[in-house]
Amino acid sequence: MASRAQSATSDPTAIAQRWIAEYCAHSPAADSLCAARGEAHTAWQAMFEELAAINGDSLNRAHERAQRQADDIGTGYRIAGESEERPWPLSPIPLMIDGAEWETIAQGVAQRAALMETILFDIYGEARLVEGGHIPASLVTGSPFFLRAMTHLDPPGGYQLHFFAVDLCRGPTGEWRVLADHLRAPTGAGYALENRLAMSRALGGLQSRLNVERHAPFFAALRDGLTTLCRRADPRIGLLTAGRFNPSYPEQAHLARYLGFLLVEGADLAVIEDQLYVRTIAGLKRIDALWRRLDPRLLDPLAFDSASQIGVPGLADAMAAGNVVISNAPGAGAAEAAAFSAFLPRLSVRLTGSELRLPNIATWWAGQDDARDYVRDNLDRLVIAPAFGGAPLGLPGGKPVLGADMTPGERDALIAELERRPQDYVGQEIVKLSTMPVVADDALTPRPFTLRVFAARGPDGDWTVLPGGFARIGEHPDPRAALMGQGSWSADVCVTSSRAVEPVTLLPRTDAVRLRRNPGTLPSRAADNLFWLGRYLERGEALLAVLRVLLGNSISADTGAALPQATLDRLIALVTSGNAAPPPPGTGRSDLIAFARTALEDEGGWYSVRAINRQARAIGDVMRDRLAADMMRLLDAPFPATGGLLERAGMLQRRYAAIAGLSAEHMARTDAWRFVDLGRRLERAMAVSRTLRAFIDDDASGDDLSTLLDLADSQISYRQRYMAGLARVPVIDLIAFDPGNPRGLAFQIACIAEHVWALPILSDDGLAEPQQARADEIAAIVKTVNAADLDAAKLDEIDARLAGVSDAIARRYFLHGGEPLRSGGLTLG
Amino acid sequence: MMRYAIRHVTRFEYGDAAAFARCNLRLKPILWSGQTLEEYDLSVEPGGHFVPARAPAGLANVVRLVVDEPTRMLTIDSRARVSVDRPVPVPGDDDPTLEDVAAMARASRDLSPAGPAAYLYPSPRIPVDGAIARWCAEQLDPASGVMAAGIALARRIQRDFAFDPSATLVDTAPADAFAKRGGVCQDFAQIMISGLRAAGLPAAYASGYLRTLPPPGEERLVGADATHAWVLLWCGPQKGWVGVDPTNGIWMAQDHIVVAIGRDYSDVAPIDGVMLGSGAQRLDVSVDVEPLDEAG
Repeated sequence: MASRAQSATSDPTAIAQRWIAEYCAHSPAADSLCAARGEAHTAWQAMFEELAAINGDSLNRAHERAQRQADDIGTGYRIAGESEERPWPLSPIPLMIDGAEWETIAQGVAQRAALMETILFDIYGEARLVEGGHIPASLVTGSPFFLRAMTHLDPPGGYQLHFFAVDLCRGPTGEWRVLADHLRAPTGAGYALENRLAMSRALGGLQSRLNVERHAPFFAALRDGLTTLCRRADPRIGLLTAGRFNPSYPEQAHLARYLGFLLVEGADLAVIEDQLYVRTIAGLKRIDALWRRLDPRLLDPLAFDSASQIGVPGLADAMAAGNVVISNAPGAGAAEAAAFSAFLPRLSVRLTGSELRLPNIATWWAGQDDARDYVRDNLDRLVIAPAFGGAPLGLPGGKPVLGADMTPGERDALIAELERRPQDYVGQEIVKLSTMPVVADDALTPRPFTLRVFAARGPDGDWTVLPGGFARIGEHPDPRAALMGQGSWSADVCVTSSRAVEPVTLLPRTDAVRLRRNPGTLPSRAADNLFWLGRYLERGEALLAVLRVLLGNSISADTGAALPQATLDRLIALVTSGNAAPPPPGTGRSDLIAFARTALEDEGGWYSVRAINRQARAIGDVMRDRLAADMMRLLDAPFPATGGLLERAGMLQRRYAAIAGLSAEHMARTDAWRFVDLGRRLERAMAVSRTLRAFIDDDASGDDLSTLLDLADSQISYRQRYMAGLARVPVIDLIAFDPGNPRGLAFQIACIAEHVWALPILSDDGLAEPQQARADEIAAIVKTVNAADLDAAKLDEIDARLAGVSDAIARRYFLHGGEPLRSGGLTLG
Repeated sequence: MMRYAIRHVTRFEYGDAAAFARCNLRLKPILWSGQTLEEYDLSVEPGGHFVPARAPAGLANVVRLVVDEPTRMLTIDSRARVSVDRPVPVPGDDDPTLEDVAAMARASRDLSPAGPAAYLYPSPRIPVDGAIARWCAEQLDPASGVMAAGIALARRIQRDFAFDPSATLVDTAPADAFAKRGGVCQDFAQIMISGLRAAGLPAAYASGYLRTLPPPGEERLVGADATHAWVLLWCGPQKGWVGVDPTNGIWMAQDHIVVAIGRDYSDVAPIDGVMLGSGAQRLDVSVDVEPLDEAG
């Protein structure tokens, strides 16, 4: 017996068969796995074999492995602190769909996308569908995304729709149907990519063994499709985001990086004479197309919602002039309402001559009298949902409800509202979702799921459908779609092909952007953020260095050799001058520990290392499209909470050193790197100057000078140069003026000058720009001052000049629009 | 017939020079039944220029103001001569019922900005509100004639609400003004529109001017007028849009000059847009509606 069990559990084929058999013994017959026959079944079997080969007879292990991969991949594009969890954690079991079944889905989605384009073209053009009575005008005006300003405006490139998504469900007999259309800025394609990446790491051999269709050709089609529509041959394409507080910001940053689009916010953009530009460090650069991930109503305060603070004034004009392709066109959402789907079957026949290949779930829009009567008379058999979103008075929560679940009071209220404003409601058949396996308690269990499928218009104008997509899995076994909500898990979707798929690499060949050594122009906002990232990181490091010296030399030392009072006072003054902590009441051991703890960890308003760290993280969040995943991981790592104070400070210091090492060793020497480094150098120069000022007066003792060398990390350099012991002027010279000391002031200033001369300039007259002139001036001072003459006044001047360089850099390279003033508010009568 | 000379001057002052402005001006009265625009002139001092707004914006004449030179002050001067010949509507027994109007609006084949369908739904500044809906519904029996119901609701608002400029601000939500039972023309128009739409009726927001009569024995004060807002109710394809003024409990007739019509204030704001600058902004508006001669 023992040996049989042994052999059974080590053979992946047998394990997979047993998993499937046990699962199907108590799963619905319509389940995606249990109903699979022939090739489809082979694919499931092969997938489970792969799982078993990697994880043995443990589904839990498979589960953990998939989670680990997803976490690892995800860290690079998740908002720290705000949503530690993925919106939809990854299930280790992908949904397997065989090629033939997928073909019907793909054709149906492409047909639907084309139909939507035709409808939108009419709505925003001749409005013949309305005039001819095929759809009522109120079906169009009900959508909050019907934008009148977009009527009679030919979208540049010729299309309203470039990117399209549908939510599908698989019914009890295996047929696929459409639950919802997404025409505005569908989310999820980035998650599909992320899931695939995680699954290909967790299930390495599966893709080649099963000919799983790759994602890359789809994204290439999307990018090339947009590129083709632009007027310039080598266009600049932006992904317009609402910013880091948008929940799908990480997805957007990831997609921008993956597609080679510039991640931009409204404030980065400007319309001048109907041309769209991005503000970069090299001046205004034209943008040819925008993949917008912004509510269309906020896109342009002059054309749509004048209260929008995040839009681009004049964007609609640039579009009307044909100068910028917007994907999708701002008004595309008009046809995505639930009410619209009631008309699609008829419109398909009317406009394309053929039935919908993928039917949508049966929908009755109560805006028409017979449909209203049907909905009212069949409330118990329907889901009642808002026709156009929002929360109409008959559905106070705005959520779909099962008619049968309503209380008599809710029911009466709804029926009354159906008389008053029937156009606000749809009735939909109650859809039963088919299930797929997920892992729970080391076993497979069935859960209902929906599938989001994406389509993009390729360079030939035809629709390409992403093979696979984003499966969302319900939390509860109840298969009624209306109860599934957003779902709680996601799964990769593997479409298997009977023909060989080209070998998969993580970043497939078709994604290779054309060769280019100049990485493109850096947007001003990005430069600003990178500069301040450098400054905050360095600022944190400098404060840590002071605290380490304070803690290490004065209070934890077993040697008992505490620093003299005068030196302690200088250190304390350095800390308090930066508002990191209030002055300690005394300089006893406990006072100093409390003081250092505040400066390290305070959350109550002192400018502690923790506060500085938080600023750096916030910038990291918005710069995730430009920072390496390893750097993000270090930035996102939680603040150390264990060990003694000195130990925690040490941990942080090592982390900062690792970040500095990463940017020094791994960041390409682009303008982006220059801004990080400029920030660091400026901050360090300021810190050195501040430290010098605190320590080099005529009373400086040997302890002071030694501490100064510690703070400037220059003990070894000093001893290599001077055998004789500590003396004031040599110490000053080493820290302030020796160009060979990489921690010294002169070195930082030389680096700053080098950077500002290497960055793009706007003028072509060969004259220095202000930031270059300022940097050269301060470099000249540092070269000519004699160490013996360095005094507080001279240091003050250096400080002021460093601030001047920083200001000049900000003025030249960063955004500095005034605050927008809104007018309006003139109706008084 | 009435003829009016209208002057509407808007003056902005900034703490620091504003270097950038892109504004939509909706100051030129539209073509609308019962009124004729005889003359119109728009100017801006000291600088800036106008470009026609490209995106069609419905029932408003939109001009784009572009300022690229730093300026501390901006004066926008709009002058119009309008003649108004608009009979006072008379409700009749053959008016369609509210129920009929709602059904006709839902089934309308007119997607244009003059069609009823565009004004059936909640709009950015006029959301649905249960309290307003219930209160207005008392006046809106589905079986009653649409015009009679419309003026009755306007009169009830005029009667039950206090005209109180201190009660509300320009961005006060209809629900708040309703709760206070007070406000100005914009609040009353929004409340009435919200109630009409809640009953399934197409209702639009009209902005423009109202001739004001000086108190008996006093001179008319020049520049003391204001812009005004009221409601257009769609009364079926025969009668079309009929204006009612809930601030005064009257029909729109000889004394009302329509400038723009939209779903709510956001469609018709006389001036909105973006100005970049810093420091405080001061705004002065003066409106003068001068009757020229009275005939007929």
